[in-house]
Amino acid sequence: MSKLPRFPRFALSAATLAAIALSASPIAHAQSARDYISIVGSSTVYPFTTAVAEQFGRQGKFKTPKVESTGTGGGIKLFCNGVGPQHPDVANASRRMNAGEFDSCKKAGVTDIVEIKVGYDGVVLAESKKAKPLAVTRKQVYLALAKQIPDPSNPTVLINNPYKTWKDIDNSLPALKIEVLGPPPTSGTRDSFAELYMEAGCRTYPWLNTLRSQDEKRFKRICHTVREDGGYVEAGENDNLIVQKLQTNVGSLGIFGYSYLEENSGALRGTMVDGVEPTFETISSAKYPASRPLFIYVKKAHVGVIPGIKEFLGEYVSEKALGGEGYLANRGLIPPTKSEIGDVRKAAVALPSFTP
Amino acid sequence: MNPSMLLVLLFVLVLVAFRLGKDRSIAVVGGLRGVRDLHSLPGHYGLLTALWCGLPALAIFAIWVSFQDTVLVRLVLSHMAQSADQLSSSQLSLLMNDLRNVVAGNVAAETVAESTRKAAEEYRALRDIAHMALTVIVVAVALGGLLLARARIRADLRARNAFERVVEVALFCCSGIAVLTTVGIVLSIIFEAVRFFNLIPIGEFLFGLHWSPQMAIRADQVGSSGAFGAVPLFTGTLLISLIAMLIAAPVGLLSAIYLAEYADRRARSVIKPLLEVLAGVPTVVYGFFAALTVGPALRTFGESVGLDVASESALAAGLIMGVMIIPFVSSLADDMITAVPQSLRDGAYALGATRSETIKQVVLRAALPGIVGGLLLAVSRAIGETMIVVMAAGLAANLTANPFEAVTTVTVQIVTLLVGDQEFDSPKTLAAFALGLMLFLVTLLLNAIALYVVRRFREQYD
Amino acid sequence: MNSTTETVTPKYVPPTAAQTQAKVSAGLARRYRAEARFRAYGLGATLLGILFVVFLFGSVFWRGFSIFGQHQVRLDVFYDAEVIDPAGTRERDTLLAADYQALVRASLKARFPEVEGRREVRELVGLVSSGAAGQLQARVVANPALIGQREAVWVLTSSDVDWLLKGKVSRNAPESERRLSDDQLRWLDTLIRADQVERRFNKTFFENGDSRDPELAGVGGALAGSLLTLFVTLLLSFPVGVAAAVYLEEFARQSRTTDLIEVNINNLAAVPSIVFGLLGLSMFIGLFGMPRSAPLVGGFVLTLLTLPTIIIASRAALKAVPPSIREAALGMGASRLQMVAHHVLPLAMPGMLTGAIIGMARALGETAPLLMIGMVAFIVDIPNGFSDPSTVLPVQVFLWSDSPERAFVERTSGAIIVLLLFLIVMNATAVVLRNRFEKRW
Repeated sequence: MSKLPRFPRFALSAATLAAIALSASPIAHAQSARDYISIVGSSTVYPFTTAVAEQFGRQGKFKTPKVESTGTGGGIKLFCNGVGPQHPDVANASRRMNAGEFDSCKKAGVTDIVEIKVGYDGVVLAESKKAKPLAVTRKQVYLALAKQIPDPSNPTVLINNPYKTWKDIDNSLPALKIEVLGPPPTSGTRDSFAELYMEAGCRTYPWLNTLRSQDEKRFKRICHTVREDGGYVEAGENDNLIVQKLQTNVGSLGIFGYSYLEENSGALRGTMVDGVEPTFETISSAKYPASRPLFIYVKKAHVGVIPGIKEFLGEYVSEKALGGEGYLANRGLIPPTKSEIGDVRKAAVALPSFTP
Repeated sequence: MNPSMLLVLLFVLVLVAFRLGKDRSIAVVGGLRGVRDLHSLPGHYGLLTALWCGLPALAIFAIWVSFQDTVLVRLVLSHMAQSADQLSSSQLSLLMNDLRNVVAGNVAAETVAESTRKAAEEYRALRDIAHMALTVIVVAVALGGLLLARARIRADLRARNAFERVVEVALFCCSGIAVLTTVGIVLSIIFEAVRFFNLIPIGEFLFGLHWSPQMAIRADQVGSSGAFGAVPLFTGTLLISLIAMLIAAPVGLLSAIYLAEYADRRARSVIKPLLEVLAGVPTVVYGFFAALTVGPALRTFGESVGLDVASESALAAGLIMGVMIIPFVSSLADDMITAVPQSLRDGAYALGATRSETIKQVVLRAALPGIVGGLLLAVSRAIGETMIVVMAAGLAANLTANPFEAVTTVTVQIVTLLVGDQEFDSPKTLAAFALGLMLFLVTLLLNAIALYVVRRFREQYD
Repeated sequence: MNSTTETVTPKYVPPTAAQTQAKVSAGLARRYRAEARFRAYGLGATLLGILFVVFLFGSVFWRGFSIFGQHQVRLDVFYDAEVIDPAGTRERDTLLAADYQALVRASLKARFPEVEGRREVRELVGLVSSGAAGQLQARVVANPALIGQREAVWVLTSSDVDWLLKGKVSRNAPESERRLSDDQLRWLDTLIRADQVERRFNKTFFENGDSRDPELAGVGGALAGSLLTLFVTLLLSFPVGVAAAVYLEEFARQSRTTDLIEVNINNLAAVPSIVFGLLGLSMFIGLFGMPRSAPLVGGFVLTLLTLPTIIIASRAALKAVPPSIREAALGMGASRLQMVAHHVLPLAMPGMLTGAIIGMARALGETAPLLMIGMVAFIVDIPNGFSDPSTVLPVQVFLWSDSPERAFVERTSGAIIVLLLFLIVMNATAVVLRNRFEKRW
C-alpha cells in the first residue's frame, strides 16, 4: 500500500527527465543534414512540380522533394536568401526572374542560378457554365478593371473608373455587374495578367502607347493599377477558391492559370477574349492572346550536395513528363514547343548560368 | 557508447544513487531503529543523492551533445581542405551538409568526392572518440556527485529542505516560462513594428483611412498606391466581430440560462457536451464551410430578395464566427450562473417570483460582472480569429458598416502580408508586425478589463 | 421639514389578504406567459445551437462520407521480363526503375484489343490511376519471383472514374462537359459487366501521404505529422504546465513576481494564435535556425500556445481539492512538497488530465500559427522523425481546399471527417474522465 503514493512522483520525475532530454535535442536536430530537395514558389507551377516530385520519389532512389506553395515573389525571396542547406534548392516561377531579384540573390551569395523553362500556361478569364457566354476584348477588360481610365469624351484626361456594369463600357455587353475575382499583386498570375491584359488594353490608346517609351514608370502606374472599389476582388493566392466561388457566383469572372480551367472544365467555361476561346490548342499556338512561360530556377551550388537535384531535373524534362503525351501535359501544362524542347533538355543537363 | 544509451545508463545510475543515499542515511544512524534520529526521511537522503548524481551530469551531457557536431565538423573540415579557410560561410555550410549526409548514409559514398569520403571516415572516427570521452566524463561526474553527496550524509543534514528547495526552484522556472513567452512575443514583434513606424508615421497608421499595402514589392512592379492607414482594417475587424457577437451573445447566453436553470440533469449532461463540440471544431473547418457553403448561399439569397451581397461579405464570416463563439459564451455564462448562491434564488422564490423573474432580476444581476467579463473575452477571441476570415472574408479594405460588403480584418492582412514573402525590410512585411502588435495590445487590454470585472464579482460571493 | 403646513399624510393601510390575492392573480396570467416565453427563448437558443452542430457535421459528413470507399478495377497483368528486367540481373535498382506503366498499358490493351491509336490508348489508360504502376512496382520489388508470371491485380481507378461511379457527376451531360469521353464510358461499362470493377474500402486514403492524384492522396502523412507534433507538445506542455500550476497554487507566496506571472498566464490564454506564429517565425526559425516545416518547431509553437490552457485547467483542478486535505497532511507533519505529491496531485490528476486533453485537442485543430512556420507544403513521404518535413491534418485540409482537381473536394471533406473523429474521441475522453473521476467535495 505504501507504494501507491510514490507512483506520481516517479512518473513526474521521469517526465521531467524526458522533457530535459528532449529540450536538448532541438539544437542537435537543427544540425542534422538535409537529404531531400526543398522547393518553394509559384502556386501556378506548384501542381506541376509536385507531380514531378511525386513521380521522382516513387522511383525509390531519393526522398520525395518538399514543395511549398509560396507565390512567385515570396519563393524567389526565400530562394535568394543564401546558399546552404537551410535555404531552398529550387524556386518555381510563373514569370521570369528579374534583374532586381537577381541582384538580391547575388548579394546573398547565390551567384550561379540555372533557369529552366518548363512550359507555358495561359492566363485565362473564365465564368460559370451557368452564365450566359461573355466575349470581351482586352481593351474592355482594361476599362472594366483599371483604377483610372481615359475619359471617353476626352481620352487624354484620366478619370476615376466610373463603370459599374459591363453594359456601361460597351452597349453590346450584358448589363452584368463587374465583378472579377483575381489574385493579389504578390502572385505571378497577377503580374502576367497586368502585362497581358491590362497593358495590351491600355496600349489601344495612342497617347498611352507613346507614353510607354517615354515614361515607362508612369505608363505602368496608369495601366497596371487595378481598381480598389470592389470591381476587382482580391481573392488571395488561393486559385481554387476562385474556381469554387465562380461556380456559385454566376455572372462573375475569374482570373487564373489555364490548368485550373482544364481541371474544372465540367463547371467553368473560358471567356472568349478578342474572339478566341482558351483551349490547349489556341494557347500552345499563341492564338489566344495571353499565355506566359513557366520557369524553375535551380541553385547551382546545391547540385551534387543536396542529393538528387540532377536526377530531379532529368525527371522534369523527360519525355514521360514533358512530352506531348506526358503526365504534365495531362495536367494542363503546355509543354515547350518542339523547337524549344531540345534546348530545355540540354539546359537541364549542362546547367548553364543564367543572367537576366 | 551512443548518447541515448548513455542517457539510459545515467538514469540507472540515478536510481542506484537513490538507493545508496537512502541506505547510507540508515547506516549513519545505526540501522532502522535509529531512523528517528534522522532530520529527514531516508528517502529524502536518497533523493538528494540522486539529484547530485543526475543534475550536473545531465547538464554536461546536454551542453556536450549540442556542441559536439559543430565542433567535430569544423575539425574535420580544417583537416580536409587547405582551402577551407577561404570558403565563405555559406559554402562551408553546404560542405558540412554534404559531409553529414555521407555520414548518415543518406547518399551512397561512391557518389561523392574522394576528399569528402575521407573526411566522413575521419568524422566517424572522431565521433566515436567523442562519444567515448563523453561517456567517461558523464559517468565520472555522476559518480563524483554521488560519492560527494553520500559522504555528506549525516543525521543532522537537512536533506528534505535541500531537496525541496531544488524542486521549488524547478517549479518556479516552469511557471516563469509564461513570462518568457510574453517577452518573446513582444521582442519578436516590437523591433519590426518600430522599424515600420520609422517608415510610416504612427499617426498615419492609426488614423489613416486608406489601406492599400499592395505597393510594389519589387522595383519594377506596379501595385497599388501603397497606403498604410489601418482604420479600414480596424472597422472591418470590428464589423465582423460585432456580427459574430450579435449571434453568439444572445444564443450563448440564453442557452446557458436554459441549461443551468431549466433543463433537467439528464438533458443537461447530453446537450452541454454537444454544444461544446462546436468549440472543438477546428477553425479551418469553419473557414471551409463559410467560404464554400454559407457565403454563396447568402449571396444567392440576397439576389433573390434584391439585395447586393458580396460573395465575401462580412456577414458570412461573422455568422460562422458567431457559431464558433456560441459555446465559448455559453460555458462561461453557465459557470457564472451556477456560481450564484442558491440562497439568492430561494429568497426570490420565497417572495413569490416566477423562475424567469428570479433569473432576470436576481441571478443575472448577480452574475452580470462575470457575464460581461466573459463577453469581453469572447470579443477578444473574435478579433484574433484567423482561419475563418482568411478563407471567407475578402482582401479589399473597404471602410464601410454595410455587412453585405466585403471587408478585411487585421488577421487576414497579417497572413497575406507574411506568408510567402519573408524579406523583413519592405514596409509591406513590416506592416504585418505592426498589425500583430496592435492585435496583441488590444486583446491584452480586453482581457485585462475582463479579468478585472470578473475579479470584482468573485469578491462579492466567495 | 415643513412644519408650517400640517398636511395629513395618508396612513399606510396594509392591504387585506383578499386585495393582495386579487392583485397577484390579476398579473399572474401575464407573468406566466412571460415565464413560458422566456423558457421558450432559452429552449430555442439551445436548439439553434444543436441545429448548427447537426448542420455543420451533416454537411461535412454528407460531402465526404463517400471517401471510405473507392472503386478498383481488376487487371490481368503479365509481368513481362523483357519490360522489367531484360538483363535478368534482378537487382533492386533495376526493378525500381522499370517502366511499370507499360505493363498496365499492355494489360489494358490485351483486354480491349480493338483500341488503337495514341489518343485512344491514352484515354483507355486514363481509366486507371497512375498509381497502378506503383502498385505493380511494389509487388515486383517485394517478390521478384513474379517476373514472367501472370496475375490478376486489383488496381485503383482514376479519380474521374471513381467520381462518376460514386454518382458525383452525371454521365448524361454532353461529352464536352464531362471529364470522361463516350469511349471511356463504353469501356468502363464493359468492365463493369464483366465484374471487373468493385467498390472497396479505401485503404490508400489512410496510408498514403499527399499526392497530386486525388485517388492516391491520403491523410497518412498529415496524420503522422500531427501525431509527432502533438507528441512534442504533450511531452513539453503537460509536465511544465502542471509544475507551473503547482507552484502558483501551492508554493507561491503573494508577491509582485507571482502576480506578474499570474496576469501573464491569463493574458497569454487570450492572445490570438497567429501571434504565436509570429513568435515561432522570428524566434525558432529566424533566431535559432531550426528547420522549416518540422514537427519539432510546430510542437514548440503549440506548446507555448497550449501551456496557458493547461496551467489554468490544472490550477482549477488543484483549487477543487479541499483545504482540509492539505491541512490534514500538514498536520501530520508532511512538508509542502510531500503534501502536494502524496495527496493533492493524485486527487487533482483527473482534472489536470482533462485540461491536458482539451489543450491537445485545441493544438490538433490549430492552423494559423503553423502557416507561418512553413508547414504549408507538399509532402509525400510519411515523416518519421521530429525534423522530417511534414504537415498536419488541419493544414492538409487548407492545402487540399486549394487544389484544382475536383475530386479533392471529397478528400478535403474526408480529411475533415478524420480530424473531427479524432477531436470527438479526445473530447469524449475528457468528458468521461471528468464525469467519472471528478469528485465533488
